[in-house]
Amino acid sequence: MELKYVGKPLRRVDAEAKVTGTATYVADIRLPRLLHAKVLRAGTPHARIRSIDTGEAEKMPGVVKVVTGKDCKILFGTCLWDQPPIAVDKVRHAGEAVAVVLAETPLQAETALKKIGVEYDPLPFVLDPIEAAGTKAPLIHEKNGEYGRVEYVVHPVKGTNIFHHYSLRNGDAEKGFQQGDVVIEEHFEFPLSNHCAIEPHGAICRFSSDGSIEIWASNQAPFVLRDVLADMFGIPAAKVRVHIPYLGGGFGGKSDICIEPLTAYAASLVPGYAVKLVLSRREVFTSTLVGRGVKARMKIGAREDGTFTALEAEMYFSDGAYGDTGWPVCTVAGHNCTGPYHFPHVKTDVYGVYTNSPPVGAYRGYGHPEGQFMVGRLIDILARKLGMPVWEVMQKNFLKEGKENALGQTISKSNGDLDRCLEEVKKALFTGKKPKENKRYLYGRGIAAMMKSPKMATNSSSGCLLSINADGSVFVALAGIEMGQGCQTVFTQMAAEALKVPIEKVRMYQDVDTQFSPWDWQTVASMQTYRGGRAIVQACERAIQQLKENAAEALGCAVEDIEYDGECYRRGEPSKRLSIGSLARGYMHENGLTVGVPVHTAGSYRVQGVIEPDPKTGMGNAAASWTFGCQAAEIRIEKATGKVEVLHFVSAFDPGKVINPVTCRGQVVGGVVQGMGATLMEKVEFKEDGTIRNANFGPYRLPRIKDVPKKQTVIFLETPNNEGPWCAKPIAEHPIVAVAPTIVNAIRDATGIEFNCLPVTADDILKALQQKGRS
Amino acid sequence: MPTIKLTVNGSTHQVEIEEGRVTLLDVLRDKLELTGAKYGCGVGQCGACTVILNGEAVTSCTVLARKADGGEVLTVEGLSDGYTLHPIQEAFVESGAVQCGFCTPGLIMRTYYLLTKNAKATEEEILEALDKHLCRCTGYESILKAVKLAQAKMTL
Repeated sequence: MELKYVGKPLRRVDAEAKVTGTATYVADIRLPRLLHAKVLRAGTPHARIRSIDTGEAEKMPGVVKVVTGKDCKILFGTCLWDQPPIAVDKVRHAGEAVAVVLAETPLQAETALKKIGVEYDPLPFVLDPIEAAGTKAPLIHEKNGEYGRVEYVVHPVKGTNIFHHYSLRNGDAEKGFQQGDVVIEEHFEFPLSNHCAIEPHGAICRFSSDGSIEIWASNQAPFVLRDVLADMFGIPAAKVRVHIPYLGGGFGGKSDICIEPLTAYAASLVPGYAVKLVLSRREVFTSTLVGRGVKARMKIGAREDGTFTALEAEMYFSDGAYGDTGWPVCTVAGHNCTGPYHFPHVKTDVYGVYTNSPPVGAYRGYGHPEGQFMVGRLIDILARKLGMPVWEVMQKNFLKEGKENALGQTISKSNGDLDRCLEEVKKALFTGKKPKENKRYLYGRGIAAMMKSPKMATNSSSGCLLSINADGSVFVALAGIEMGQGCQTVFTQMAAEALKVPIEKVRMYQDVDTQFSPWDWQTVASMQTYRGGRAIVQACERAIQQLKENAAEALGCAVEDIEYDGECYRRGEPSKRLSIGSLARGYMHENGLTVGVPVHTAGSYRVQGVIEPDPKTGMGNAAASWTFGCQAAEIRIEKATGKVEVLHFVSAFDPGKVINPVTCRGQVVGGVVQGMGATLMEKVEFKEDGTIRNANFGPYRLPRIKDVPKKQTVIFLETPNNEGPWCAKPIAEHPIVAVAPTIVNAIRDATGIEFNCLPVTADDILKALQQKGRS
Repeated sequence: MPTIKLTVNGSTHQVEIEEGRVTLLDVLRDKLELTGAKYGCGVGQCGACTVILNGEAVTSCTVLARKADGGEVLTVEGLSDGYTLHPIQEAFVESGAVQCGFCTPGLIMRTYYLLTKNAKATEEEILEALDKHLCRCTGYESILKAVKLAQAKMTL
């Protein structure tokens, strides 16, 4: 049947609110009895707290309360309970909260902060993950290994800074390398980076005298937040109410629980008041979660004909002061660092290591960009060593129908067509001749393929509540967070399509409220279209069934005789129609007699058959969906400066059905630019004293409009599959995964120089060119 | 407390200013409840707080409130009448240039400044203006498209 809304470039439903300045974000919210919170940060990366003097601060004008961690017994977490909401006896990174001032205005709170005196006994600190994993490193958590944890998934090494060790043993890697003719091995670095959503993190929290908690937060995971707060304060989850207004960008940086426990802890000491904490940009850099941060070694083996025989990797993640948000990154990097390739033997060891930086959490595609940067680079090096075109090596080893991934899962045809992604990219970028080197520029081309399968809770679900009004308009509620990706729009499209009603009649509310919204695991892993869409389809099917039952009663016939095409009618009598509005509250006859029942239905969808990797082998059915893609770039490098300009960037992905071509392209184009930032400019840098050097926009450089590719080509293949709604599959994080290997391979093509540490800055290139005598 | 006078979106306000560093952005958001302008960085690097002050586009997070005394301000809320959209707002909607929306009001005000001063701005001039802003979602492609569409709409 022809689709009316799905697959169409419809306007975003949230756009008008956002262009008029009326869209409400957490910082825009005001409540009665509002106190403003400002936080004193440690300023030193590792130290024992000897004393905190708050006396003078408490006397400052407007100050209602000064909160410290003294007597705080709470540790919070979701799988590893290792973090207090505020520093108690020691600080583990320079951005950690030591005290909070609650005052009537933000300025009063800020002023009072300066009056707090803290005495520290400094401890040696460590930022390098390999050093931190060693036996001589200062111990950041004396209780590592003793904290509460979900034992099946988090594997600490007691007496060290390693809070999680994931290892994968698929086959016999040693044997695999012996079977190969060529072995390539390199060391890599993907530094700590910041998500840089333009909206800083914020939260407003209020404790009531009846023991209930209400919080408004910039968070991608309302139900996780609810459960964490309930756990922290020992109250039923039903007494915690979480509201999520519009989110000004997330990228995973708001998917983990971050500033909310601090806000809630402060609020718990002033019941009746609402406590508002909105971070400064500087604090977003120093005191929220960061991403990536890995030093690693990877080795691949291949036969002369390019067939891979084995992969081995050892990765150390500098996961910062706390580990609850870092361990999943390690696990997924461990099993998906193979990229979209079949290796008969795989051995990986990934260490999540405590260091004295802000903690690492989810960041767009986590684990995948880190791991696949390495494999993408190694294949480029291998192909040259074998004297084969790189795409021949890639294609020979693609994970496709019948091939097994590192986890031991078998890929089917419906998982995606990587061969065609490669063909499309080759056609778009490699058919013409590469420009020749001239006086000013070097030219290069690079290519890399990617695979992503989301890491998720094994019970990861979405729900949908649907109700129809008497005028035929429709409410749809899901708890997917609109953070820019466009889920509110595609949900609306899918609901209108499935219910066969005009899209103008469908209203999807953006506000998520855990008291009324259906349970949703969280808005991560690119799952909302896929998982939320399935929930919508089920809710619509159930609504149609109820409408038919109401119509059958109204018309006095069997339900089987009722047809539905956006209205109900008796088969054979298409002219006598009952609108959905007339059936929405049951059907009312002329005399008022009403039959049937009101139409409000629920739908849900849970990912199928997912299990956690086996603790011994690291293998198992840990992935439920794959999206494949291929990217390529043509670049030029200015010899005098080393500056890289991306002339053309091509992406081909197979996300199944594209529900909205505009929002889908938006994900890819934006993801490529974010990936360019990681490749060429972004890195969290530390000073000698362990504090962050570049804690604001400006010193931390991210792509501006003049930095972006001169041209981006985006191609979508829509391979039919049985997974998602209308065959749609995840796509949001994927565009970032292969950007670094693509561009760095192009830099190698232009310069002949291998770079394996990110970012590759203009200065790095210039220096390397000078050494080679080519600038 | 010292008081300043501001004309914002056509109406005049007397606003009391606290001791300490109070910016024009603070006044707009906290005193006048005009929350369209956003705080993104506090140092004028991201452009999310851009408004028009006395005919110039400024990052309101770097303008001290007392320096704006007597000034005339236009914010995103003043761009349209609340019933219809300004052509620039229309263009952003139609071009798919809005994702999370946090940088949008600032970009719209920058575009307003550019196109009201220089209706025939070249692509280079447009890029120069937009380079003062950060957007983490779009990769800027749709934003450039929106500004060009706005230009076409406004010169009709």
